[in-house]
Amino acid sequence: MAAPMAISPTRMELIKLRKRISLAQRGHDLLTEKMDALVIEFFEILKRVRRARADALTQLATAHRALSICLALVGTIETRQASIEARREIQLEASTRHVMGIETPALRIEGAERRVLERGYGIHFTSSALDDAAREFEKALGLLVELAELEESMRAIARELEKTKRRANALEYIIIPRLKATIKFIMMRLDEMERENFSRLKRIKAMLGAGA
Amino acid sequence: MSYKIAVIGDADTVTGFSLAGVRHVHVHVSKEETLSKLRRFLMEGDVGLLLITHRVIEDLGEDFKLLMRTKGVLPVVLAIPDKTGYAPAVDELYELIKRAVGARVTEKIGGD
Repeated sequence: MAAPMAISPTRMELIKLRKRISLAQRGHDLLTEKMDALVIEFFEILKRVRRARADALTQLATAHRALSICLALVGTIETRQASIEARREIQLEASTRHVMGIETPALRIEGAERRVLERGYGIHFTSSALDDAAREFEKALGLLVELAELEESMRAIARELEKTKRRANALEYIIIPRLKATIKFIMMRLDEMERENFSRLKRIKAMLGAGA
Repeated sequence: MSYKIAVIGDADTVTGFSLAGVRHVHVHVSKEETLSKLRRFLMEGDVGLLLITHRVIEDLGEDFKLLMRTKGVLPVVLAIPDKTGYAPAVDELYELIKRAVGARVTEKIGGD
């Protein structure tokens, strides 16, 4: 059970505690509201993640299949050689976005898919299997960029949700019960003091009455 | 500002993404090498997205988790399956959902 805090049982402390408890209550209400909003946001993004993930993974599997065919038809060394020639600086636009005070990444890729002639390897000595593999991987890359943004946003929301939950629980199960217990302790102590005083007065009055 | 994409994985994954034009790649051979490369990708500050295969993540184990906890919002790290479609039995993301939502359910029961 929540133990009362170690403070002196005075009326002043009681007023202070009442203020604190109403503040804690308000904080708790706000946190609960925030949690509700986060949960809605979370499920919204979860739906999108599921869809994006299915798309991206299917495309990635297709890409790997195309690459296997390419490796078989063109040869491992030739494919690797072409892959080194195909490298370029990819333009990935990355920034951060704020969703309800949570920092989430925003990613955008420019021109993931290229035309055959833009890929950089010579088309004269290479097979179309190589072009297929490259195209499928370019598509997969585009989808994976989208998925990465969504997954990371979801992770950020989940983290925030956990944090909010922990705070709300701390208020609800620890801080507020402790404040309540302390208030009760002070009130009982004050009542007790009043009773002591009352009987003391009675006694004095009786003594004065006997002396007169 | 424009960022780079980096890929860490087995030879085939790396070849595939190279074909798609990714320049910053690393073929996973030994744990130490991959870890130092991974650290470089995370610290450089110009990598916006890092793709890494599930199998490599498993090989790196705790060191990877530690690095993930200490990194900022960028780079975004995305785990991808390799050509065998291998993904771990316990999905890290769904584990997260269970933690975030599951505990909420118990709280509802406790609150009533």
